[in-house]
Amino acid sequence: MNAMKAVITAAVTDIVYRSCLYLDNGNWGDFLDLCDDSMIYSIKAYSVEIRRDMEYLSHNKKELGTLTEMLPKLNSDHSPLRRHASVYTVDIGEDGETATAVTSLAVYQNMHDGINSHIDSGETRLFLVGKYLDKFKISGESALLIEREVRLDTRRLDKGTHHLI
Amino acid sequence: MSAKNHKQWKIPAFEQGDYVDSRIYSDQNIFDEEQDKIFKQVWIPVCHESELPEAYDFRTTSIAKEPIIVVRGKDNEVRAFLNVCPHRGMRIERRTAGSFSDGQPSGNPKHMTCMFHAWQFDMKGNCVDIPRAKEGYQDRLTKENVGLRRLRCEVRFGGFVWVTLNDKVEQDLEAWADGAFECIRSAIDTEPLEVFHYHKAIIDSNYKLWHDTNSEFYHDYMHYHNRVTGFNDEYFARTNKGFKNGHVNVNSFTVQYGEFELGESREDLSFPGFPPNQWYMIDLFPGMNFNLRGSALRCDIVTPLGPNKVMIEFRGLGLKSDSQKDRKTRIEHHNSIWGPFGRNLHEDLLGITGQGASMQTGSEPRRILHGRHENNLIHDEIGMRHFYDEWSKWMGRNPSDPMDEQNKVLAAE
Repeated sequence: MNAMKAVITAAVTDIVYRSCLYLDNGNWGDFLDLCDDSMIYSIKAYSVEIRRDMEYLSHNKKELGTLTEMLPKLNSDHSPLRRHASVYTVDIGEDGETATAVTSLAVYQNMHDGINSHIDSGETRLFLVGKYLDKFKISGESALLIEREVRLDTRRLDKGTHHLI
Repeated sequence: MSAKNHKQWKIPAFEQGDYVDSRIYSDQNIFDEEQDKIFKQVWIPVCHESELPEAYDFRTTSIAKEPIIVVRGKDNEVRAFLNVCPHRGMRIERRTAGSFSDGQPSGNPKHMTCMFHAWQFDMKGNCVDIPRAKEGYQDRLTKENVGLRRLRCEVRFGGFVWVTLNDKVEQDLEAWADGAFECIRSAIDTEPLEVFHYHKAIIDSNYKLWHDTNSEFYHDYMHYHNRVTGFNDEYFARTNKGFKNGHVNVNSFTVQYGEFELGESREDLSFPGFPPNQWYMIDLFPGMNFNLRGSALRCDIVTPLGPNKVMIEFRGLGLKSDSQKDRKTRIEHHNSIWGPFGRNLHEDLLGITGQGASMQTGSEPRRILHGRHENNLIHDEIGMRHFYDEWSKWMGRNPSDPMDEQNKVLAAE
């Protein structure tokens, strides 16, 4: 059992890190391939100002596909987001068919246009910090994301972004 | 003639009034004047009453660098005070929101307490305790002699809390708005509203550039979402209407939400008495915006931080009576367009960021145009012109010639 647990833990950890690389590089299709068809993605934060939990974005897998396909039609800045993630915990359900993971997340923005590209390009700024709260479906030695909640600590998001976090 | 040198570029393409001098967005003296002559004089919405739903709840904010606290008393009245202790000038409450129901390390429950020396105040701003007052002040000062600085405060127009620093403000809030809210009045005042969304942005740009963006729809070309859901005959027939005191509203049309790949009709969640999928916009001088779009109300409040820096607070509101399911849908509708990860807001903020970068303090003065005249229709830039007519009255400056240079040249000639 411990050996199996180690295998599943490794599979879950691998998916979290691969998801970061795919999202960093805008490989949306590869990211969605890590997700089960039942996947639900959300970005949430707690506001101390209005003392409420807030949901900034919420989509299922199909909607995520539509959203990412739409990106070329939308104006945005050209400064890519880069993730630094550390998988803190992986917990496997008693039935061995599900798992959860908590990942600490910092997202940086590598400035291209920024505010004044002549000055800003090449600089890296902290964009946000938070956590990935992930749930997985386990099948044998493999795992697929069924839920990702991006839980933000940062609430001052300034210009925001069209991209997934 | 195509490209121009500086002198040629400065020749007005239009009459004065159809452009402004870019220094109104970048000059430190003009910014300082605006704080005193405008922001300290007029009504500003600072929060929504649903942010302090219970007695002893509070919310802190600021106008023109003056710290403000809004509290709800046990009589359910919402009151506003300077968030400043009359003893040593300490900020009394440092949190953004919370409740005084529970005690603090320096203070008793149900009181505002300055943590520094434990002077305590009730929810009406009365000072109720000064530690060892008799020993220190004898009969020269008692708690009856001091209290918080109260501010004029009204709860109105959908439950927003409005404050003015001006004790002698000439118009009450209803008169100040001059009917600009009437187009959505029944929709937002029939039943209580509730805030479900809040976020803020601090942008290196002038606050008026944000209000300009909210005042003109010509920039809808930037938004794929608005092009596919909006650009039709009904959209181009929308009109701008000016009101006294620099306010403007824009009438509605039926938004074709279903034309957007991830869109859906807002019909089932319309505000009370509000026709399905409509979109009204109200721009209030000197920089507040109210957007009722189908199923959600958005409110922007600007806090100018410098000639080239502004904080914008974004709120989303639904009906307090919403079921959990309806609220979730309403939030999705709001944030899909106006959240920090939504389709439109990010693009709007990129727009004023780019303007801010090109109009930094000390940059070459240039003409910023708002000269589209289309019989007040949707892409007519009358909203901005109306705003700057009002700005000119408060500031005693011509926005097209804020340093009075053209007049001096004419006088010399």
